[in-house]
Amino acid sequence: MPGITEPKDLIVRARAGDTQAWGDLYRDYAPAMFRFCRRALPSKEDAEDATMEIFMKLREKLAQFDTSRSFTAWLYKVAANHCWDMLRRRKARHEKDAEDVDELPLEAPEPNQLEKLIEERTGEEVRKALDRLGARARMALVMRYYSDMSYDEIADALGVRRPFVGVVLLRARHELRQALTENSALAVGGAR
Amino acid sequence: MSDVENAKGKHLDEITLLLYVERQLERDAAQEVSLHTQTCTRCLTLLRALDRESRLLTRSMVEQDEPLPARLAEFHDKVKKSMQWIWGLVFGLAVLGVYALYSTYIEPWQQRLNDAGFGGSNLVSLLVFQGAFWKGWQSMVTLVEFVAFACAAAFGLFAVRRYLRRGAALAVMFASLGLVVALATPAAAAEFRKADSVRIEKDQVIKGDLFVTSESIHMLGTVDGDFYAASKDVEVSGHVTGDVLCACQSLRISGQVDGNIRNLSNNLTITGEIGRSVSSFTETFSLDRNGKIGHSLASFSQSLTVDGTLGRDLLAFFHDGSIAGSVGGEVLAKGGSLNIGDSASIGGKTVFEGDNSPEVASGAKLGSPVEFKKWEHRSHMERRGGYYVWKVIWAAAWILFGLILMSLMPLFAKETVKSAENYGASFGLGVLVFFGVFIAACLACITIVGLLVGISTLFLWMVTLFSSYIVVGAVIGRWLLGREDELWPLVGRMALGVVLIKIGTAIPHLGFWVMLAVWIWGMGAVSLAVYRRLQPVIAPNIPSGPQPPAGTPLPPNTTVGGI
Repeated sequence: MPGITEPKDLIVRARAGDTQAWGDLYRDYAPAMFRFCRRALPSKEDAEDATMEIFMKLREKLAQFDTSRSFTAWLYKVAANHCWDMLRRRKARHEKDAEDVDELPLEAPEPNQLEKLIEERTGEEVRKALDRLGARARMALVMRYYSDMSYDEIADALGVRRPFVGVVLLRARHELRQALTENSALAVGGAR
Repeated sequence: MSDVENAKGKHLDEITLLLYVERQLERDAAQEVSLHTQTCTRCLTLLRALDRESRLLTRSMVEQDEPLPARLAEFHDKVKKSMQWIWGLVFGLAVLGVYALYSTYIEPWQQRLNDAGFGGSNLVSLLVFQGAFWKGWQSMVTLVEFVAFACAAAFGLFAVRRYLRRGAALAVMFASLGLVVALATPAAAAEFRKADSVRIEKDQVIKGDLFVTSESIHMLGTVDGDFYAASKDVEVSGHVTGDVLCACQSLRISGQVDGNIRNLSNNLTITGEIGRSVSSFTETFSLDRNGKIGHSLASFSQSLTVDGTLGRDLLAFFHDGSIAGSVGGEVLAKGGSLNIGDSASIGGKTVFEGDNSPEVASGAKLGSPVEFKKWEHRSHMERRGGYYVWKVIWAAAWILFGLILMSLMPLFAKETVKSAENYGASFGLGVLVFFGVFIAACLACITIVGLLVGISTLFLWMVTLFSSYIVVGAVIGRWLLGREDELWPLVGRMALGVVLIKIGTAIPHLGFWVMLAVWIWGMGAVSLAVYRRLQPVIAPNIPSGPQPPAGTPLPPNTTVGGI
């Protein structure tokens, strides 16, 4: 997490039951956690719920945290697991995810057209396109490009084999490109 | 260079390039990619595009596009924060309003209902009319209450744990409560009769409750339980040890009823003896000179005649009323005119509210002089200051109600406000719900079996009706102050809107129509939001790969199927 050093002292105090330390931890990490959840989950309300639940979970799990490791990475791992659990539960209820077609081959993009597509897109457009992605694709992109999680961590969180992570990310990028193209076409259609 | 490579068909897979960009390849494989891209323009371009895509993704993700929501910002220390003064004021006014409502309307009515035999020791008892309608279920009530509360508590805990803010949890709670109550089976034995004409002979004794539906019913025998009747004409000349519940055109009681009478009919004539109380909705009510009611009488009728003996209080609403008999307790009556005859005797005080002062014969024996309150038909221009004070108190109560609803169900609140902005659909559905559901619920209440469903539906209808102010208020607030989906700004907009609606409803002549429009619009919006909630969620159907640009042939070896 940029600009935040490892809060070892706060963690020790929070473990000892210091509410002020808890407040400080929350104040320092809640914005980043909320943004993570906001990117990973379909609605703002879900993200708010998830952020609070993650911190409640954190309170229970902090005793298990190994202080020799990165707190930020651990926190993201907890958040990723929580969000993925939420999405999976929801998927079981509602969705027939596009993951059924995992075995289908992907066609590579035409390099110049891909360059053009990327060049013309803003951050806001990408975030909007994220909303149209399947749960796993979205989660994979957020874990990799927001919280900079390693392939091993992503594999662990998503419950896939490590060599498959690259494919998941590539498929996610393809979905994203498709969503960007469709959003763009809709915007042009709407403007007419 | 690239032309040579293309001709050989040795372009690199996209996945290989991505893994190279992501620094996930082994050293040897990475060197191969590095060498290849020095000579292949196409792969180099794709590699750069993938790298730029990675950076675009990272930039898009970490951009701080929205601040931390207020709910989260206050999460860890919100309990310590003091309430803002404006909410203190609103809360105070609301409490005052609730207290005034309770002391002015609910408490006196509760007392009257208790006197009339509808007494209940708690909410669930009141809901199922313990001791009145369901006397035969008495032994089940305790169990039902226990199970209902256990279910409510379990679901409540479950909901609070994670999904407190979701309307679905509340729906589950109410549904489970309703289910538990509905699934309870009657403990007492009951007899059912259905024929064109039913006659219970004088020497016939029926043990347990009796349910009869018929064109005409004549009960000369004995029912050792409650007697339920739905018919055109009903005459009870025999003996009923429990209650009589009747929906008919004409009911005549010339025998003896030890319990209560609950009646919905055109005419009710009592010449016999009733042990407890009578509650009656009729066109004409008559307690004959020989008739006797042990406890109280609550009557809503066009015409009321009390010539017989009433042990306790009389609570009556009528157009024309006449008392020539004996009333042991108080008389509280509202209506067009009241005549108290020579032979009348009233033990307690007599209060009459109406258009004309009551005519009291000189020979009447009254516990105290009649208190008469003349109905004042004020024009809009004659409204007193108190009217406007009440308007302010009620507005505060609505705002508090809205605040609670929005805090409990923020997502549903936003969805409802969004539905309200779908004007045509909201109004259309609102007309249907406002009139249709109300009529359907009332019809359901008439039948004994549908009573619980009818009352539950009416309850939900009322809640929706009250919520309509909040929904429409929020929409009006958003018109004036701009769109905002955060909780507290939305609450602020709702508060402004509610105040404006209250001002609108106070406008002479126009006020009623404003209120009607708000009800219909708001109810439609709530119904539309519920309808949308119940629709299944469909995941976007995203194909696994992009469509190739028209007319652009793609190389055949750029798949990831082999990985």
